[in-house]
Amino acid sequence: MELQLELALSSSSGRGSDPNQDCNRRRKRCFDTAFLGVMESVDSPQTLPLLIWDEKQRSNGELHEQKRIHDLAASDRNVEDDVLVGWPPVKSWRKQFGHHSRRVCATNYVNVEHGGGDGGGRGLNSMYVKVKMEGVGIGRKVDLSSHRSYQTLIAKLIAMFGKCEDNVETYKLTYQDKDGDWVLAGDVPWETFVHSAQRLKLQKNGY
Amino acid sequence: MNPDPKKSKVLPSNLPNSNGSSHPHSLFPDEVLEKVLSLIDSHKDRNSVSLVCKDWYNAERWTRSNLFIGNCYSVSPEIVARRFAKIKSVRLKGKPRFSDFNMLPRDWGANVHSWLVMFAKAYPFLEELRLKRMTVSDESMELLAKSFPQFRALSLSSCDGFTDDGLKAITTHCGNLTELDIQDSVTVDVGGGWLSCFPENFSSLEILNFSSLNSEVSFEALEKLVSRCRSLRVLKVNENITLDQLQRLLVHAPLLTELSTGSFLQELTPRQYEDIESAFGNSKNLQVLSGLWDATSFYLPVLYGACSGLTFLNLSDAVLQSGELAKLLAHCPNLRRLWVIDTVEDKGLEAVGSSCPLLEELRVFPVDPYDLDHRHGVTEMGFLAVSRGCRKLRYVLYFCRRMTNAAVVTIVQNCPDFTHFRLCIMNPRQPDFLTNEPMDEAFGAVAKNCTKLRRLSVSGLLTDTTFEYIGKYAKNLETLSVAFAGSSDRGMQCVLEGCPKLRKLEIRDCPFGNAALLSGLKKYEMMRSLWMSACNLTMKGCRLLAREMPRLNVEVIKDDGSDEIQADKVYVYRSVAGPRQDAPSVVLTL
Repeated sequence: MELQLELALSSSSGRGSDPNQDCNRRRKRCFDTAFLGVMESVDSPQTLPLLIWDEKQRSNGELHEQKRIHDLAASDRNVEDDVLVGWPPVKSWRKQFGHHSRRVCATNYVNVEHGGGDGGGRGLNSMYVKVKMEGVGIGRKVDLSSHRSYQTLIAKLIAMFGKCEDNVETYKLTYQDKDGDWVLAGDVPWETFVHSAQRLKLQKNGY
Repeated sequence: MNPDPKKSKVLPSNLPNSNGSSHPHSLFPDEVLEKVLSLIDSHKDRNSVSLVCKDWYNAERWTRSNLFIGNCYSVSPEIVARRFAKIKSVRLKGKPRFSDFNMLPRDWGANVHSWLVMFAKAYPFLEELRLKRMTVSDESMELLAKSFPQFRALSLSSCDGFTDDGLKAITTHCGNLTELDIQDSVTVDVGGGWLSCFPENFSSLEILNFSSLNSEVSFEALEKLVSRCRSLRVLKVNENITLDQLQRLLVHAPLLTELSTGSFLQELTPRQYEDIESAFGNSKNLQVLSGLWDATSFYLPVLYGACSGLTFLNLSDAVLQSGELAKLLAHCPNLRRLWVIDTVEDKGLEAVGSSCPLLEELRVFPVDPYDLDHRHGVTEMGFLAVSRGCRKLRYVLYFCRRMTNAAVVTIVQNCPDFTHFRLCIMNPRQPDFLTNEPMDEAFGAVAKNCTKLRRLSVSGLLTDTTFEYIGKYAKNLETLSVAFAGSSDRGMQCVLEGCPKLRKLEIRDCPFGNAALLSGLKKYEMMRSLWMSACNLTMKGCRLLAREMPRLNVEVIKDDGSDEIQADKVYVYRSVAGPRQDAPSVVLTL
């Protein structure tokens, strides 16, 4: 019997008579979040044939495969939980782009701040969150622990997305908090924000 | 000629096995043979020479001065010390390559210390040490710093285990140092104080690379160092060095041939902008340029004056868009090697195709390897564009989320001279984007067309057919990397049976089992190593291999929570030193 796994946001958990249904469902959830990204609202679910299992593989490798996917990278610091260890094969020391500069584009704002010269960029105390800018397809990641205020964060983000000429004031920053709600940034103290922000979005005012 | 006590034991007339010659008079005197052999540098040639006859074996081992060991566990320090007498430079490699991707436990091994202890005794005149993927403790660095009065060059690539203290020992005590290069070594815990420990009168440095260092160094100390080292030709600073600081360094070192800048983003006054622009303009000898963190279209033009002689441009730390890249490349007509990030997209690669006719090597890295957003990065179109304009391409590393068989077939028709073809379609098992078929024909074309192919990395949806092609056509293949590919044991068997020059085989997440593993029984002794992880190997199969082939080390790394039957990660390598004694508890040697 061939078991074909597909990716879709719809929770079609009835995937045939699968004795390990629980494991399968968890595995499917892993792939959903990994491959589709929670932020995307996909109107037509994208389905990709991900794995084609035949009986032979199932008996040998199935338990094995499930465990491997579950035992993730607790050590993998790359934000998304369900990423295969060591894949894609990019060197772990290679910087994650968008967070490494501690100098920011200083055109239009008052404070120029270091992110602390203590080499925190790649350290284990850093707090990377994903950030998307409206109208720019590629998201970035930013290390919240290397900033001290909303001003410098926004300025940094503007620089990251290559929009150095723009004024900090023309942008609004929203973030997704621990409850999953999108909130306008700036109302809570900086420390509180840093510890509750899961994702960021930068938009131009007036949208 | 210096008389060597060992030599006097071997006189031409004493030799029992002279390979057929029965006239002692017709043999070369040792001195002549050694003189000739001392001119041979290539370690491969030397290895061949040493196999000719006992005479030549001895002459070779007394004249070898450069030692290369591709797997530190394939031989022991004692064996090396017994064989070679006059080693001046050492290149040593440790962990399997997949350690770069976090696939090995932290304390796996490859510690250099026992080697250094032997070198201190046997080769006190050691001058150069180049390590890759090895663990180097501070204690080892101190030993190194104090044991070799003529020590000149230390290069650490992808190494770990040291801190500021170790480096301080080097900079304090190695008065003749010409090279200090810690490239891409792990430096999360390494401070920057070592740079301030070079003595006041120290001036011999020619190569300095600390580009991957997180911590700040004292700029004052750096500036003084650069200004007094008149022979400095390679300077690679870390991101903490600012643009205006860089300008001052460049003024002190106009003869640089290789430069890695610090951060390229800083508020500059117009005067500062001009100064840095003119500093680059005066750097007429630059051939290699890298760094450029945060470079944007506003600051890139300061570089233009230095670009005409560039042969290697490494933009793998600079997030650029296609337009910025195009403008920059217009100033770099002599590029042979280019590394970029995929934010330049296909449009940027079109610019590569049209601006860089001499290009031999292209590497395209993903800006965000874990963001599975399918809409961005580069595709088969970009690669095609490069292949049309850069017919001399021989090395490619290409990360993408979309590829087609037809494109690859065309690419290798345009560029048949590939020696290194590393294609990484980032979504595992992804088929041809247009036809939905496996990518077998793509890699078949690579194997068939590129007769000089030495290194291949495959990806995408692949059946055993790919491996049939590889086994049939890739007769010069030395290194093969396989992930999420193949349909059965037959795939791996085709490669093991068909590729006579195969030296390194690394496999992950493939349906290859014990039968495939054991089909290569005889082959592994002719290879450097085999890595297999997340395949279908069992402990039983590994034990069988270990039993049948005593000169192979078969190591199994146990993952947390795995059962007693499966062999999750298997590393097999030939060794004359027997099983290693320093394996951590998670590594079982069978």
